[in-house]
Amino acid sequence: MAALWGAFLGIVISVGASAAVFWGTHRLFGLVERRWAVVAAVAGVLVGAGAGAVAAGLRRCVAVEGSRNDECTPLLDGPSFGWINPTLMWIVIGAAVFGLAGAAVGVKRSPGGDRIATLQGRLRALTFVGPAMLFVALGLIVPLLRTIYLSLFDKAGESFRGLANYGEIFTNAQSVDLSGWAGIFGSRLFWGSLILFAIATLIAMSRGRSRGVRADVSASTVGIGLGGGLLLSFAVFANLRGTVMNNLWWVVAVTFLSTALGLLAAVIADRTKRESFAKSLIFLPMAISFVGAGIIWRFMYIARPPQKSQTGLLNAIWVWLGTLRPSSGGAWTAVAVLAAVTVLLTALCAFGVRRRQSAIAVGSAIAAIPLLWLIYRFLGPGVGGSALGPNDEPIAGTILFVQESPFNNVWLMVVLIWIQTGFAMVILSAAIKAVPADLIEAARVDGADERQVFFGVTLPTIVPTITVVMTAMIVLVMKVFDIVRVMTNGNFGTQVIANEMWQRSFTEFNLGLGSALAVVLFLGVVPVMGLNIRRMQRGE
Amino acid sequence: MKDHSNRRTRLRWARLLAIVLAFGLIAAACGSDDDGDAEEAPAATEAMADESMDDSMADESMDDSMDDESMDDSMDDDMSDDMMDLSGTKVTVFGPESSDEEAGALRDALDHFAAQTGIEVSYTGARDAADQINAQAAGGNPPDIFIFPQPGKLADFARDGHLIALPDDVIAAMNEHWTPAWTAFGDVDGTQYGIPNKSDLKSLVWYKPALFESKGYSVPGTWDELKALSAEMIANGDTPFCIGIESGPATGWTFTDWVEDLMLRFHTPAEYDAWVAGELAFSSAEVSGVFTEVLDLWNTPGMVFAAGGSIAATPFGDNGQPLVDNDCMMHRQASFYAAFIPEGTAFADGSADAVDTFYFPSVKGDQPVLGAGTLVGAFRDAPEVWEVMKYFASSEYAEVRQQAQTERKGGGLSGFLSAATNQDPSVYQPLEQSFLDILQNADVVRFDGSDLMPAEVGAGTFWTEGTAVVNGDKSVAEATQAIDDSWPQ
Repeated sequence: MAALWGAFLGIVISVGASAAVFWGTHRLFGLVERRWAVVAAVAGVLVGAGAGAVAAGLRRCVAVEGSRNDECTPLLDGPSFGWINPTLMWIVIGAAVFGLAGAAVGVKRSPGGDRIATLQGRLRALTFVGPAMLFVALGLIVPLLRTIYLSLFDKAGESFRGLANYGEIFTNAQSVDLSGWAGIFGSRLFWGSLILFAIATLIAMSRGRSRGVRADVSASTVGIGLGGGLLLSFAVFANLRGTVMNNLWWVVAVTFLSTALGLLAAVIADRTKRESFAKSLIFLPMAISFVGAGIIWRFMYIARPPQKSQTGLLNAIWVWLGTLRPSSGGAWTAVAVLAAVTVLLTALCAFGVRRRQSAIAVGSAIAAIPLLWLIYRFLGPGVGGSALGPNDEPIAGTILFVQESPFNNVWLMVVLIWIQTGFAMVILSAAIKAVPADLIEAARVDGADERQVFFGVTLPTIVPTITVVMTAMIVLVMKVFDIVRVMTNGNFGTQVIANEMWQRSFTEFNLGLGSALAVVLFLGVVPVMGLNIRRMQRGE
Repeated sequence: MKDHSNRRTRLRWARLLAIVLAFGLIAAACGSDDDGDAEEAPAATEAMADESMDDSMADESMDDSMDDESMDDSMDDDMSDDMMDLSGTKVTVFGPESSDEEAGALRDALDHFAAQTGIEVSYTGARDAADQINAQAAGGNPPDIFIFPQPGKLADFARDGHLIALPDDVIAAMNEHWTPAWTAFGDVDGTQYGIPNKSDLKSLVWYKPALFESKGYSVPGTWDELKALSAEMIANGDTPFCIGIESGPATGWTFTDWVEDLMLRFHTPAEYDAWVAGELAFSSAEVSGVFTEVLDLWNTPGMVFAAGGSIAATPFGDNGQPLVDNDCMMHRQASFYAAFIPEGTAFADGSADAVDTFYFPSVKGDQPVLGAGTLVGAFRDAPEVWEVMKYFASSEYAEVRQQAQTERKGGGLSGFLSAATNQDPSVYQPLEQSFLDILQNADVVRFDGSDLMPAEVGAGTFWTEGTAVVNGDKSVAEATQAIDDSWPQ
């Protein structure tokens, strides 16, 4: 019954208060037009009452030995009798003083008609935007300032440490470990990237010669160059380890691959008959939470003891491939299929060379390399995780996707790429469809082929959208937390800044270091956000 | 304005009215939560006032509690009289036990108390409770009682001034049921803050006696015998151990348990204490030697069956099934592991598939015991909270909880164990009774060391660096040095 009464009273009071606010603002707008002095007086009363309340609430606190509660006394005191207490007194005093001052100012300087109209506009805006601004300030800006403040203090937030927390983040070997730099030059990824760069340069130069310039940058050179850049980044991040480096790796790899795959999916889906079906399939993972996706992929990656059957899909396939022994029926079938595909690719390559389409020629040639390698493995040493035991029984050799550093990072990134590709695809697909049809028709009339239309018209038109997708992705990837926490919790060299922040802040309750990590993350995100906002404003 | 048509004015007013009503209703809906809080608010402020009074007038309240104690003594037997004025009060309990069996049985035990006293006790369990409590305490809304999984954490909170020291009458009630060996874990710098709530025996190896017999293996009595037995098993084509250290955010604790158990065996209790207190470095020959001992054993080819492909990837809870399936012969894990052994398994009843335990062999012939458990600490100073705390200290709680948990497990071992004395032994199965005998009679009991170390190490680097050495990412020297570096100064 009491609850019912409470609810009823709450409704009555809330409706009443809302009505009062609306009536009040309505009157205020009317007053602005007619009597400026009254408006100024009302504003003064409101400000004064607020100031009075704040002043009455000010406390001076002194730490008390042996107690965690400080002893506090009000700075401003006053008489207290009956229902009149000092707080009320200070509110009334504040309201009276400010109200009178406001009225005086209002009488003296009554603005003219135009000015009143502007004022009224601003007042209206403030009435509606004000509360929202207040909530933003309370929920966002205050915590931000407090986090920055805390990041300058020690574990308990008590004694000042300056920038020592930040120093710790960037000098700690767990965060940035550059000691493996020499390994970059020994990695196959590095040499692979160099080869790709060389191919890109060669193509650019040969195209340039035919056009009379030193180097002609085309879509195929850019594509191969980007691929080389990705390989190079993998080579670098696989050898320069640490939390900060892992985060950068995530940002580079996930942003690039998600956007590239999303673009590819959007372009291909654009030409298929069942476009919405194909796009739904790719978009589906977006509906799964990061935690859920992490758990799902843990099952995909799981490895079981060699003597047991594999329950993780990837290891099951890997071990099954291993059971296809060289020169067995299965292996010959695999070789036949692979050889057929390789022949097709070779034909495609020849076609590309004849038509002087370097992208097709080089693309199919590069795609054929792993197939040739697989054929070699099937014929010779064998593929997959299986070896023969002493009694010729197959022994499974599983891959510990999640445990083997540093490439376990990549397997975790796959999860986020799997989710984010759908996001990139949907937005880029919309952008592709929004490319004006007359532009494309004009290009076709001029004799451009499909490839030229895409790289010459569609792609330049959607570059702003690609930038938006990439910046949104960078912000999201920089903060990656759930997937790492669920799949490894930062073990096995997969730590990222957000998870480190959680562990420092909430497991160890090291407020200083945790806040500093949060600020580092924030500072990393801000420029990208700024870029995005600037671009959006310019777009308007 | 009035020159405009009436119809338009009316429409404007109707629209305005609609907006006002909508906002009003939204505000009312948002406000209804506050109404609920408002009812509780006086109680909360009262409690805060009590707290600050106690802080400022500690001496007087000491006297008060002395008086209380003499009163309580007379009423201890007839609790309901004492309770009359407390019925309807509410106490919140928060803790890490969150499985259906554990949290359910805990709630059953608290309901039993609530039915007797009228105090409403609500329990919330969360797997990462140990993390959440930090934020709750810092945010000023801790639960009334928290079940601490680690004494180290209890000490941190006591030193920070968050916890309230136990009043003398509660200490007296606790001492009736708990021996000093156990109450000492709730003692922070000479003041008692915690009451033991649950006890685990860690120095155990699970095995199948019938299988041992059929294969001609005998239970090892020393560490060397254990190693010899393992070698014999490998030679016979059996896998000696099931080991897995994955445990979500706490991955690595199984490894730290092995290290602690062997620290107690290779070295003296005094050295163990020095190590736990941070005086004996991890990188010292003693500690890193034990690391190496554990890793050498684990990394012996054929030694370990890891259900998840590798030790570091195998969840600690996934070792029960392979033990039952004979994929491995032994599994070193605490008494609570009974809860992870598949349902329907017989325990120590002599049947062919029954699972039993033996004492994790000692090195020097002594019988040190590694124990663990949870402790309850209070964040609010109120009579109803202390009544609940007294209940937690009682053997009655242990009995009710044990019965409820056994029931929820559907017979077999419950996984719960309490070293409280004066318990009715009939609520425990014979195997559990043997654990209790070991716990209550051991002369050297040491608490799980990682639970006593500062959180940065005990719930941080000891786990993560341990996982790194087990996974082969780091050498023992690198890992122990990293742990030493992380020890708070």
